[in-house]
Amino acid sequence: MTDCTKYKNLIEKYLDGLIADSELAELRVHAEACPRCREEFDRCVLMQSAVKQAFSSSTAAEQVRASLLEKLPVESSRFVGTAWLAGRRAAVAAAVVLAAGVLAGFALGRFSGPGQTAPAVTAEVPIGVGDVQGMVLVRHEGSGLWQALKADSHIYLGDAFHAAANSGCILRWADESTLELNQNSMLVLKSYNGETQFYLEHGELTAALESPHPPFFISTPHGRVEALGTEFTVTVE
Amino acid sequence: MADESRQLMARDEQLISLALSGQTSAFGVIVERYWKMVVAMALTRIADPAEAEDVAQESFIRAYCQLHSLRDPSRFAGWLSKITLQQCSDSMRRAVRCKSALGCKATPLNELDAKPAEPANPGLTQRQIHFVREAVRRLPQKFQSLIVMRFVAGLSAVQIAEQLGKRPGAIRVRLHRAYKILRRDLAPLLEEVEL
Repeated sequence: MTDCTKYKNLIEKYLDGLIADSELAELRVHAEACPRCREEFDRCVLMQSAVKQAFSSSTAAEQVRASLLEKLPVESSRFVGTAWLAGRRAAVAAAVVLAAGVLAGFALGRFSGPGQTAPAVTAEVPIGVGDVQGMVLVRHEGSGLWQALKADSHIYLGDAFHAAANSGCILRWADESTLELNQNSMLVLKSYNGETQFYLEHGELTAALESPHPPFFISTPHGRVEALGTEFTVTVE
Repeated sequence: MADESRQLMARDEQLISLALSGQTSAFGVIVERYWKMVVAMALTRIADPAEAEDVAQESFIRAYCQLHSLRDPSRFAGWLSKITLQQCSDSMRRAVRCKSALGCKATPLNELDAKPAEPANPGLTQRQIHFVREAVRRLPQKFQSLIVMRFVAGLSAVQIAEQLGKRPGAIRVRLHRAYKILRRDLAPLLEEVEL
């Protein structure tokens, strides 16, 4: 069973186009002996092949190339030196910049300090770790110890997450909603009125929620943000 | 001839630089490289395959005309996919405007059932092609492009992330959601096709 977990991960890497040749060979050998993994793998290969075939063009690319070059305007794409470098500007981030004066939100969303409303015993929350990149640390409430967050880490109420530079992690719910913590960010899971509250102390996170979703809030030192759509980014500078 | 074979191996950034300096043959290599992806991207929005190919051609011409405005040439595929989707929207708008006139382009997806799929895919029957296309079109739009980039263009999850300026983990999460939905929706097909 444990072995099959490994091969299930390899099948996922295959689907993502990230599997190494040696891993693929290993997967194929295993699939020969394991009917369950073989069926799973075959179905993934078939799905990939079916989509590729169904969306293939009936006109060869070489054929199009010749006819399309004739249609290109002669002067329209003149060389402009390093225009794309010189004219480069910072991309406009699709982030929600929070106004410092959202006092109502602040009052509602303010996370309680240690010993105020946090339960004495922290409970595990139904959130998994979808992905971890670089150095992401987690600290359980009441513990001064920061540990490396791993894909199989359990998440508890009161956990604090810290993503270092060039690092990040994705927290995932059972319904596939995700919360992505970006680099140089700190997120704390707190209990508020019996519900898990997400408190972004600093940095940036991006939430992608399945629709429909129950009311969802992100609290910050400046106020509380409610999710009205399914995807949004919150930045605390 | 040597130039041509060098171009075939060149990276997108190099080809774009050559195209900007007036070597249209370099843009030809780009067309060849991304033709399948662009047509597939158009097919997620446009029902008629011939119209989708027209939109694909228009997308390449538009990309060529705007090439000088591309800020990061290493993200050409991501930029091209956005142009293609925009071109699809424009085409659909034109179709709505001239709905009652002759020569309308871009058959809306809700008229798809009336159109048989073209016999271009020997491995699947026309009914199966239609079934697969429908399943992909039912995906949330943000997943459709990812599936095309992954399965048709053959870009890995990491390459897609680079092209779209996203984190690889975020792309992998979205792709896995899309796989899950596709696996469910394509289950009848996967059952009937011999493994």
